[in-house]
Amino acid sequence: MAVLAPVSGSAAPVPRKKRLGRVLSERRTRFGLLNAAPVVVYLLILFVYPIFSTLMLSLKAENGGFTLHWYADAFRGANLEILLTTLRISAETSLLALVVGFALASAISRLKPLWAGLAMLVVVVPHFISALVRTYGWIILLGDNGVVNNLLTALHFPGAPFQLLYNEIGVVIGTTAVMLPYTVLLLYAVMKGIDRRLLAAAAGMGAGRITIFRRVYVPLVAPGLVNAGVLSFILCLGYYLTPALMGGEKQTMVASLIDEQVMKQNQWNGASALGIILLLLTFAGLLLLRLLKSAGEALRKRGEAS
Amino acid sequence: MIELRSTLAGRITLAVLATLILLFLAMPIIVIVVTSFGKDAFGNFPPSSWTLGWYKQLFADGSKWPAALSLSALVASLTTVFSLVLGMTAATALVRSELPLRSAVYGLVLAPLVIPQVVIALGLFLLFEPAAMLGSPIAIALGHTVLAAPIGVMILMATLKGIDERLEDAAASMGAGRLTVWRRVTLPLAAPGLVAAGIFSFITSFDEFFISQFLSSVDTVTLPVKVFNVLQYNVDPSVTAVSAILIAVAVVALALVAVVRKLGGSGKQDGLLLTEPTVGLTAGSETSS
Repeated sequence: MAVLAPVSGSAAPVPRKKRLGRVLSERRTRFGLLNAAPVVVYLLILFVYPIFSTLMLSLKAENGGFTLHWYADAFRGANLEILLTTLRISAETSLLALVVGFALASAISRLKPLWAGLAMLVVVVPHFISALVRTYGWIILLGDNGVVNNLLTALHFPGAPFQLLYNEIGVVIGTTAVMLPYTVLLLYAVMKGIDRRLLAAAAGMGAGRITIFRRVYVPLVAPGLVNAGVLSFILCLGYYLTPALMGGEKQTMVASLIDEQVMKQNQWNGASALGIILLLLTFAGLLLLRLLKSAGEALRKRGEAS
Repeated sequence: MIELRSTLAGRITLAVLATLILLFLAMPIIVIVVTSFGKDAFGNFPPSSWTLGWYKQLFADGSKWPAALSLSALVASLTTVFSLVLGMTAATALVRSELPLRSAVYGLVLAPLVIPQVVIALGLFLLFEPAAMLGSPIAIALGHTVLAAPIGVMILMATLKGIDERLEDAAASMGAGRLTVWRRVTLPLAAPGLVAAGIFSFITSFDEFFISQFLSSVDTVTLPVKVFNVLQYNVDPSVTAVSAILIAVAVVALALVAVVRKLGGSGKQDGLLLTEPTVGLTAGSETSS
């Protein structure tokens, strides 16, 4: 307070003011460091250090020396298959979440505000309900005598009832439902920002609906599509619950393997290597997102320049 | 305003499609709530007759659910406290000060939201196992805070940004000390944000599965871990009632946030709930940019 007062006094000599500014700024810096300290220390101890020790463990041989043996193991035989399964299911799920999310988001973005608000509530509220519980809901729905199969049988759908649980269909349905709120929210945000007069202008110049969709709408939404797609892919990679509960043996994903190695086989080094591989895949995804973003910006700049 | 005119058929298709997808999102939740009141535990939907039996069974003698429920409540409460302390200080540092390496601190805070949870859980296991802290509620809460604190920081940063800094300056210029300003001006103005951050921290912890799974011991199991074990290994029809309770807790929590936001008049009422889920989302682009 005493320090503050002279600043407002315009009579204060210039050099003093400068020094004062520095003192003030130092005070603000000190205040900032003091306040940032708890969260930084906390995360260094409980987030960064544990991941670092996971990395160390994944490189440690049984005799204490350095080895890449655990990584070689991860890319061999059954483990490699599980890694590939993880990538496959993540790709299927994020693609489906993207397509379904696109349809829903574009529908909502055209609704009247009241209806759009209600629809978004239906999207957002499930997102905050435990994924475990929602997965259980899907197990009830998709069982041999579940609602879905009963409905299909009642409608005399050819082939019904279907095996919808403990196989890939079940896993992809369940995981897509978990990822859907993310894609809808990301795409909705982008779609709300689109100037719909552009579409009308395209129509005015004689473009057909499909052309408008393909040449105007999709390019405008593209950044959101990339974001949503990559993000839901990354989130799927380490996902455990739904594949573990709704999948069969062929749908074992990396997270399940890590869980099994730690809890049942006491194989911490192998689990650590798998964890680090997941981490690297996540970083690769984030890097890709960043590269695409800057590529997109460069493209737009070039478009504006020409 | 010029608009691209849509055909009636197009609008109907869109409406039907949107309804189906919304049903896709809502059905698993509806089916659990309804089934939890049905007499035939897993069978028909809708149930042929109704009962409160599954709920009564939860609290019957010898039931293991109350222990799991109280452990989860304890862990979630601890997490809330940790997350609010870390969240408020971190938000103050990020919004109200000149922080060297600001973007690095910000990136660190958001990182737990994009790192696969299994990696975080594994790391925490490796940290707490040698310390013989597996199964300790404190350890589980410390672990949950890694996920809850970033959410707390995001919400409180938005809250602090929404508070006119000149109010704090005015109080200071009238002679209030830093602590008084914080206690008498900042804190009351930030109250709705603190409540929201607290509630989201609580449900983040209450619903968290993977970290709990890794940090649990045989006799200390949180509610989600117990639900998972029941679903995977043995059949206990009261799990439907537990799931319905978990749904109710989340819905009540969200409603509370909405009410507090409205009372606090934060001015973005149409976005009541919509700001938070984007928290997890923006994290991806924020850390990478």
